[in-house]
Amino acid sequence: MNADRGELAGTFKERARKALGDAHLRVALDRTTGNARTKRAAAVAAWPDFDRARAAAAAIKDHALQNFPYYLEQFERNALASGARLHWARDAKEACAAVIKICRETRAKTVTRSKSMLGEEIGLPHALAEAGVRRVETDLAEHIIQLAGETPSHIIWPAAHRTREDVSKLFEKHHRDHLLLTEVEAMVDSARRELRDDFFSADVGISGANFLVAETGAICTITNEGNAELTTTPPRVHIVTAGIEKIVATTEHALQLTRVLVRSATGADLTQYTTFHCGPKRAGDLDGPEEFHIVLVDHGRTQMLEDMPEMLRCLRCGACLNHCVVYRKIGGHAYGGAYPGPMGSAITPVFDGLEPSRDLPHACTLNGHCKQVCPVDIPLPTILRDWRAKSYRQGFESRAVRLGLALWAFIASKPALYRAALAVALPLLRRRGKDGWISALPFAPGWTESRDFPAPPEKTFLARIASGEEA
Amino acid sequence: MSAHDILFAALRRLCPDEEVPDAIAARAGALARAMQACLPPLEFPDLVENFVARVTAEKVGATVEVLAGWEHLPDAVARYALAQGLEQEVALQPDPRLLALDWGFVRDVPLKSDTMIAVGVARGGIAETGSLLFHSGPDAPTLYGFMPLHHIVALETRTIVARFEDYTAQEQGKPHPRNVNFITGASGTTDIEGVLARGAHGPRRLHILLIG
Repeated sequence: MNADRGELAGTFKERARKALGDAHLRVALDRTTGNARTKRAAAVAAWPDFDRARAAAAAIKDHALQNFPYYLEQFERNALASGARLHWARDAKEACAAVIKICRETRAKTVTRSKSMLGEEIGLPHALAEAGVRRVETDLAEHIIQLAGETPSHIIWPAAHRTREDVSKLFEKHHRDHLLLTEVEAMVDSARRELRDDFFSADVGISGANFLVAETGAICTITNEGNAELTTTPPRVHIVTAGIEKIVATTEHALQLTRVLVRSATGADLTQYTTFHCGPKRAGDLDGPEEFHIVLVDHGRTQMLEDMPEMLRCLRCGACLNHCVVYRKIGGHAYGGAYPGPMGSAITPVFDGLEPSRDLPHACTLNGHCKQVCPVDIPLPTILRDWRAKSYRQGFESRAVRLGLALWAFIASKPALYRAALAVALPLLRRRGKDGWISALPFAPGWTESRDFPAPPEKTFLARIASGEEA
Repeated sequence: MSAHDILFAALRRLCPDEEVPDAIAARAGALARAMQACLPPLEFPDLVENFVARVTAEKVGATVEVLAGWEHLPDAVARYALAQGLEQEVALQPDPRLLALDWGFVRDVPLKSDTMIAVGVARGGIAETGSLLFHSGPDAPTLYGFMPLHHIVALETRTIVARFEDYTAQEQGKPHPRNVNFITGASGTTDIEGVLARGAHGPRRLHILLIG
């Protein structure tokens, strides 16, 4: 749906190659993901039982998913009782249509929106533009990329591909006071002034949800800027768009998950604003929306429940992006979908089909860092490997790849032949190595164009085993 | 069939639901207790001490003043405004405890998009994270915590609990307010290069007046 956009044009390989040659992008990514990794590490170090908590968090999400219809029905009952109106959508099109219908009925000219990855996933910004509704993104990073005419490149820091120098230039050009600013604080101030009036004049406020709480029918948003409450409280209508997998049993479970989610995302112990929204304005309330709508979206969730249920645990914290060696080199736009990095590579094939997105599961070194930092212990490397196997079985891989794999399988399953092949190949490879690394491989120049290959050690693994050496 | 019915039919097929509601609730309770068994440690055993340490930590960045009683609140607010070089006018959250005080020369003004100071009352505090708790209602509109540049909050120390779990236990069986807000420090953003900057859209400063 975004194929016409500049930063998303071409194939994955073309976009990745372009990103690898972009030194400016590298600076932006290194700054944001580096800060994120440092802060997460400090937060985790202060929680000795963090690993046990990850397992407990995974079990809490699994419990909600094992009783999915029970809890979703309970949520529906309680949300309706709170005065919320519910809209169910099987796919992105139905979800956008539900939002547009509410906007039309409200005769909305302007909507404010606080960051929601589900909104990006279903293409809501595009749908609002087509319907002629003015959309004001209120999250600072979303505001930056709206000014730049781009899509998010990170699920927590949508403007992770932009340096402070870029933001300075964008604000000077687009903000009404056209100031050239050098300090981050001054830029934040400028965005505050620029967006202030829109918060209070918008007809509709749209948010996502981090949790849907079955026992109360409330939805939970966790944010840092305060833009979510300023987006959802003043307008007459608040619309929530949420994937059905956000369901949890209780308020207690939601708050417990927040502990691991926030530490994994920004390294804080808690976001500045953790808010449960339950229904519209009540008798005597001086503020709050008169209408409260919740659009509940499937868009592949029931499919995932069947094929890779662990993926539905995902809290969208972004830790797997910050710790992924591939994401850190190519950034989010190269992935081409709403969700980049390891979690994006795992779920994009569900949305777009495996054939057009099969390069994503291949763009992974399987180093396992994503699983290690995941607050709900999603086996991302296994999921990505399963996609590769599926792509091979379904015949999506090229003839060269299939032949190569067949040749490898033929040799590797015959020990004598395998050892003979190694005896020829290893000395040749060793000779090419310099300080333990090979910078150009024969037959695979593309592979070594942007990375080095480790030179084989003096003794092979098999030889070390045979000599009784400790591993 | 409607989208709703199709979705539930698919979910029922994929989750053959054999447990009775009581068993599901018991399991949910056991999972919450399993998480309670591995929580991050509290720095200080005293809840108020821990709360103050958390809110004043660099990560949260609020300021705290301890008052002997509600009657000292107007003076503390006036001193804060003076120290910040601001006018002696504040938007008072319509909480009877605030409205009953003698505000002297501090003027109560309506809450607006450019309000400099709002004064509110938190319903409780969470020692673990240094969070302030608000329930929306006629005497506690949500926007008092989000519109001003400076948010001054009164909090009675006896309402501070250790953990979120203590809060949810207290609320068990009670009606859910329209909004429950946990506020942990002033508004901030790390959206530019992951660097923290304060006062994104909500308050830039959070000042807590602890009433003992």
